[in-house]
Amino acid sequence: MPEHHEEERQKTVCLQTMEPDVIPLTKTIDDCKVPTNEAENKDLDEYNFGPNFIKLRATEGVRELQTVIRDKNTPRTDFIFYADRLIRLIVEEGLNKLPYRKCSVTTPTGQIYDGLRYEKGNCGVSIVRSGEAMEQGLRDCCRSLRIGKILIQSNEDTHIAKVVYANLPKDINQRKVLLMYPIMCTGNTVITAVKILQENNVNESNIILLNLFCTPTAAHQLVSEFPGMTILTSEVHPVAPTHFGQKYFGTE
Amino acid sequence: MTENGVFPKMTRSASDSGSGEDMDETKSGHEMTPLSVSTDLGPASPNGPLRTPKSPSKISIKKRLRAPPGAAKPEETRVLHTHGRRTLYTAGRPPWYNKEGQLKDAFVIGLCGGSASGKTTVARKIIEALDVPWVSLVSMDSFYKVLSHEQHERAIRNEYDFDHPDAFDFDLVISTIQRLKEGKSVNVPIYNFATHARERNMKIIYGANVVIFEGIMAFANAELLKLMDMRVFVDTDSDVRLARRLRRDIAERGREPQGVLKQYMKFVKPSFEHYIEPSMRSADIIVPKGGENNVAINLIVLHVHNQLQARGFKLRSKLAQSSHNGQPMPGSLHILEKTPQVNGLHSFIRDKSTSRDEFIFYSKRLMRLLFEYALSMLPFKDVVVEIQPGVFYHGKRLAVDKIAGVSILRAGETMEQALCEVCKDVSIGKILIQTNLDTGEPELHYTRLPRDIKDQYIFLLDATVATGAAAMMAIRVLLDHDVPEEKIFLCSLLMAESGVHTVAYAFPKVKIVTTAVDRDVNEFFHILPGIGNFGDRYFGTDFSDD
Repeated sequence: MPEHHEEERQKTVCLQTMEPDVIPLTKTIDDCKVPTNEAENKDLDEYNFGPNFIKLRATEGVRELQTVIRDKNTPRTDFIFYADRLIRLIVEEGLNKLPYRKCSVTTPTGQIYDGLRYEKGNCGVSIVRSGEAMEQGLRDCCRSLRIGKILIQSNEDTHIAKVVYANLPKDINQRKVLLMYPIMCTGNTVITAVKILQENNVNESNIILLNLFCTPTAAHQLVSEFPGMTILTSEVHPVAPTHFGQKYFGTE
Repeated sequence: MTENGVFPKMTRSASDSGSGEDMDETKSGHEMTPLSVSTDLGPASPNGPLRTPKSPSKISIKKRLRAPPGAAKPEETRVLHTHGRRTLYTAGRPPWYNKEGQLKDAFVIGLCGGSASGKTTVARKIIEALDVPWVSLVSMDSFYKVLSHEQHERAIRNEYDFDHPDAFDFDLVISTIQRLKEGKSVNVPIYNFATHARERNMKIIYGANVVIFEGIMAFANAELLKLMDMRVFVDTDSDVRLARRLRRDIAERGREPQGVLKQYMKFVKPSFEHYIEPSMRSADIIVPKGGENNVAINLIVLHVHNQLQARGFKLRSKLAQSSHNGQPMPGSLHILEKTPQVNGLHSFIRDKSTSRDEFIFYSKRLMRLLFEYALSMLPFKDVVVEIQPGVFYHGKRLAVDKIAGVSILRAGETMEQALCEVCKDVSIGKILIQTNLDTGEPELHYTRLPRDIKDQYIFLLDATVATGAAAMMAIRVLLDHDVPEEKIFLCSLLMAESGVHTVAYAFPKVKIVTTAVDRDVNEFFHILPGIGNFGDRYFGTDFSDD
């Protein structure tokens, strides 16, 4: 990214100074290599990033979705179809983390069914641009949910992420926030976004991050930075499919 | 070979005009009277409502009192129940299997007799008097052998003997009747009498409760005779038969009396004396005077009715009574994990005060989760894909070529869209099963399935499964189409325990996939606490709604 662009962007909204991109590597992450067989895939599943780091159950169906999305030879129509399916699964799983209360309903046969009702007061926040790919999936589940946006760009050389634009619901501090960002390499972008949310008085524990692919580095980075935040992903793997946004939006 | 235009009344296409009246006299005898029952299986009958008598269309005549719109003639549709705004058409096909889901044999009637003896009339009268749905009529004409070029030339010169047992493909006849007897669907060839070859398309005849097989050589094969539950010989005086032939061929087909007589003497008469008349010995009943003999026909019908009654039984009431209570849930049952979301969605769609808009929205979300869950149960294979130049990823892909959805109308239809959203290029079939309010039995009214269904994995869709009677019938239909049991996934939003047990007991290899199982079924076969009538709530045809 050329320097003068960077400066233009800094004129817009919220500015955030970032610490240099130092990634504290622990031994576990150091050991992590690209798996070369099914057994090593399994080993990768063993990584534990604490109770708030949740992985979608790796059924063979989910694995297929990941395979198609990762395959560089997948045609774009297939890519979008499978990505939307995986997004939907992550969103449905994320909604499980929202608060609810018990309630009984009367069925048409006159019987009582003991179920539950979801509490109101949630919202979505997508990190532009790839996070927007997940908006539709969330919209398909919650038709009238408020969705805010944060635009962050990072310097390609220094990996320093800068906030360019943020537009959030006014009462976001009283809401549960579903933060959407599909691909995490270093985790810097998400860290920046969470800090924006915190500046808007959102409690860390009220944030649920919806993510598709995450590197062990990013996972470790996030859990150590925001231990109270719930993180939901479908896969932890040293190689993240960084082409996701470009392929999804067709700007390759 | 006669030109097309010679028989303007008879013909619509070249193949019809050549359908044997010249080269094969015995055949023309069958072409006289079109049966007054509907001939085709679907609305897309190319022949229309049987105006043109032609061999191919006569090949299979299936009587269905209630068929999809456009297929059946109006007078054959009996409206028996009008319940509020809903009209139920009864007289679909009642269960043709027992409560274990095993087939009971169809009743096969063999009908033999000389040319122009009135076999077709007798068959039609039996079908009419039987007054049971799902009767298949199979004519031996479909099973003429494909002729070689040289034989074809001879046939054109009227020198090929179509009245000899060797002219028929008995192996195919036997395998076809055997399958029909087992209640399965068959592909019957369509014989083209102009080219003496089989058409590329086959005619599908679905399984039936009564199968009538007619032809001049119907009793000529011992193995075939064994398949028949009742053998009827139509014995008409040879003078009468010759007189009919003459009248038919001369008056209606414009042929020369000399030619007709010559052929009669050369092939038809010797054949009758050699093969057909002696086969009368195999008959259980001989009907003199052919189609005019109402006494004989009534006797036959009475017997068939008794036989059918002896085989039939009440299925659904048995299913509802059959007690599986306390038994553990079968291993073939897979219930979607009851996460807060799933539970919340259930709360929405079960609540009777939920608006239709919300009902549709939330049930669709639940369906999507259901299908993702079901898809993950299909077989997968390991694959290695390149994710970046030189970097490989060990993943999975479906080891399944094709998946078809088959919905049980009407409620099952609501699930088609959700299936399409998770499954690219899925083909969709439909089965209509309704409950006969008189008997409480499910009845099969309509089937439309993808062609190559036996090679595919099948997601059988029904929103709710209470007693399991309809699901069982649909599974039976699939099995009759040669779908292996283990390739069937029964997908529903809600099942009752009794339905689970019934289906699992009858078809242990069928995977049952659902989002919840309720305990009870009430006397109206509704699930308790349940969801109400899913189809009514989804389509807005319930009476409580505005």
